[in-house]
Amino acid sequence: MKVNLKIYLVLIIVIVWSIQACVPDVDPIITKPLFYQPDGFPATSGQLNNNPVTYNGFRLGKKLFYDPILSLDSSVSCGSCHQQFAAFAHLDHKVSHGINDLEGNRNAPPLFNLAWHSNFFWDGGSNHIEVQPIGPITNPVEMNEDVARVIAKLKRSKFYPEMFKRAFGSDTITTQAMTRAMAQFMSSLISANSKYDQVKAGTATFTVDEQNGYMLFKSKCESCHREPLMTDLDYRNNGLDLHFTSDPGRARITLQPSDSGKFKVPSLRNVAVTFPYMHDGRINSLSKVIDHYRNGIVQSTTIDPILAGGNMSITDAEKQQLLLFLNTLTDPTFLNDERFSEK
Amino acid sequence: MKNKFLNMLMIAFVAISIVSCNDDETTTPSNPGTTTYNAGDVGIEFMNIAGTVALDASGATNYVNAAGESFNVSMFKYYVSNVKLIKQDGSKYEVPNSYFLIDANDTNSLKVDLANIPGGKYTGLEYTIGVDSARNVSGSQTGALDPANGMFWSWTTGYIFMKLEGQSSASSNNNYKYHIGGFTGTYSGLRTVSIDFTPSILIVDGGKREAEIHIAADVLEIFKNPSNVTIASGSTVMMVGPTSSGIATNYADMFKFDHIHNDPL
Ligand code: HEC
Ligand code: HEC
Repeated sequence: MKVNLKIYLVLIIVIVWSIQACVPDVDPIITKPLFYQPDGFPATSGQLNNNPVTYNGFRLGKKLFYDPILSLDSSVSCGSCHQQFAAFAHLDHKVSHGINDLEGNRNAPPLFNLAWHSNFFWDGGSNHIEVQPIGPITNPVEMNEDVARVIAKLKRSKFYPEMFKRAFGSDTITTQAMTRAMAQFMSSLISANSKYDQVKAGTATFTVDEQNGYMLFKSKCESCHREPLMTDLDYRNNGLDLHFTSDPGRARITLQPSDSGKFKVPSLRNVAVTFPYMHDGRINSLSKVIDHYRNGIVQSTTIDPILAGGNMSITDAEKQQLLLFLNTLTDPTFLNDERFSEK
Repeated sequence: MKNKFLNMLMIAFVAISIVSCNDDETTTPSNPGTTTYNAGDVGIEFMNIAGTVALDASGATNYVNAAGESFNVSMFKYYVSNVKLIKQDGSKYEVPNSYFLIDANDTNSLKVDLANIPGGKYTGLEYTIGVDSARNVSGSQTGALDPANGMFWSWTTGYIFMKLEGQSSASSNNNYKYHIGGFTGTYSGLRTVSIDFTPSILIVDGGKREAEIHIAADVLEIFKNPSNVTIASGSTVMMVGPTSSGIATNYADMFKFDHIHNDPL
């Protein structure tokens, strides 16, 4: 008996020790896991399968995200156009402002729950979260820089080689390592703790108006702004224009005329803080967005079948309830999470 | 405890079986009658030409295309990938991870190394101009496929398979640019090239680059066969579509087998 007990004790110690040895190097301040699967969310895109989020990868990605060294004249960082308090959209900018104050033609979308997206940009032109950053870095009206020059700058830096070494085990700085670190940071931007989520989890309750707004949302909006991501991630035309000459949207990528005027359905999570709205930022308040669905839907050749019946009938009282519901999608934990902040 | 014993047993078994494998091979040669060839490295050297002369990609020399337009070349780059060597018996050896970026202005890029090719006699070569769909959809790549090489579209993800740029009096702004890509769909720019060495034979039998295949790539072919491409009708081709796909079909036959070094025939 005694001998057996001793053996078991030794075994237990060995097991405990080996489990501890497997735990990655985690900063004690970071208590929550950086990447996790929120309850009720669908499967991720799988784009992190070769690039699991680690603390040091996340940290490097965050450093890069906020570093203007990625732009030609060190004036613009990713964070310049993607601000945390606006759920990483560009607050109050219709279209993005990049280097030398040059304007792009699209509204900077918010960044969260990106691990569930398979394609990026309003037209879905970028097919992987790892290659997506190459877009803004090289875009002449965004950061206007050359990837090879960015890598050279990072190599010359005092601290980046060490950060790359900690993140990926080698201080050789490559485009792949840089973009994988950024993918780790961006994938960790998970927003899943709004009042709506708490109601779903049974830890909060909607007011009567919010509940009525939710029912309206379910009947009028949810087929495109699908729960729980609040987007079905498909490309659709919600009736903004008759002609699509200034921005053909999805058709720019597929070259199919039937995709003209279709854009990636935006998530409505945090929508109260991401104004202005739509791919070109043409609508500056949620109230006016609902008015668009009430009386502004333009019937064009590629209008979504769901909206082909014309304007939605939403009374003023219902509109208020809808607005109250949309406000429950704001996630203050996410907007104030210090792990994601610049400093 | 029991597990540990089992593990030891397994390791012993594996060790024994490995040793016995080796034994088999050394004691019974598989094909006693034939000569055995050893694996070795093979080189491919690309020679960029314009018709009958070596290509000057510095922009200093004018050439004339099939439509009679005068042009010079300041950039000429293309991807060669998924290289397969064809054995005398018709079977193919696929060189793993073979992605190469040929840049007329970078002499180092013109010589491509294929390491550790199985020994034997080869009569031909196959490769893709461009980058297969798998590598276009799986995130950031390294080496020749590093997006930093500038052969990458980020607004609609995908590699640029071929870039030809320069000046031409046929263009209204005096410049022309062909960036050809597209890894799926009707207008995909992916093309496969087959090179036949006949009557030459490539013999791989050990050594470092004992054998070398020389291939010429003729820029004039980009403008003809089968599509007639004129700079005047479109000096900038940077989107996937019928024109880009036509240019890809044109350049699929720009490669000509030149000769093999150390060819014993
Ligand atoms: C000048 C402003 C600006 C800068 C700087 C900028 N972005 Fe953006 N970002 C935008 C705009 C505008 C879009 C929408 C572009 C489009 O749809 O064509 C966008 C889209 C995105 C998307 C796609 C989101 C989605 O839902 O599809 C991601 C991810 C992103 N940016 C990340 C980054 C990263 C990483 C950087 C830094 C390397 C960066 N951005 C720098 C303005 C900017
Ligand atoms: C047929 C699908 C569809 C339906 C139904 C629909 N939407 Fe949309 N919604 C979209 C698309 C697509 C966009 C982006 C359009 C664009 O920018 O070109 C969008 C954009 C929005 C935006 C702007 C978000 C942003 O970040 O710019 C809000 C807010 C919005 N919708 C709210 C609603 C509400 C509320 C309802 C129900 C009353 C609703 N939508 C119904 C497809 C739909």
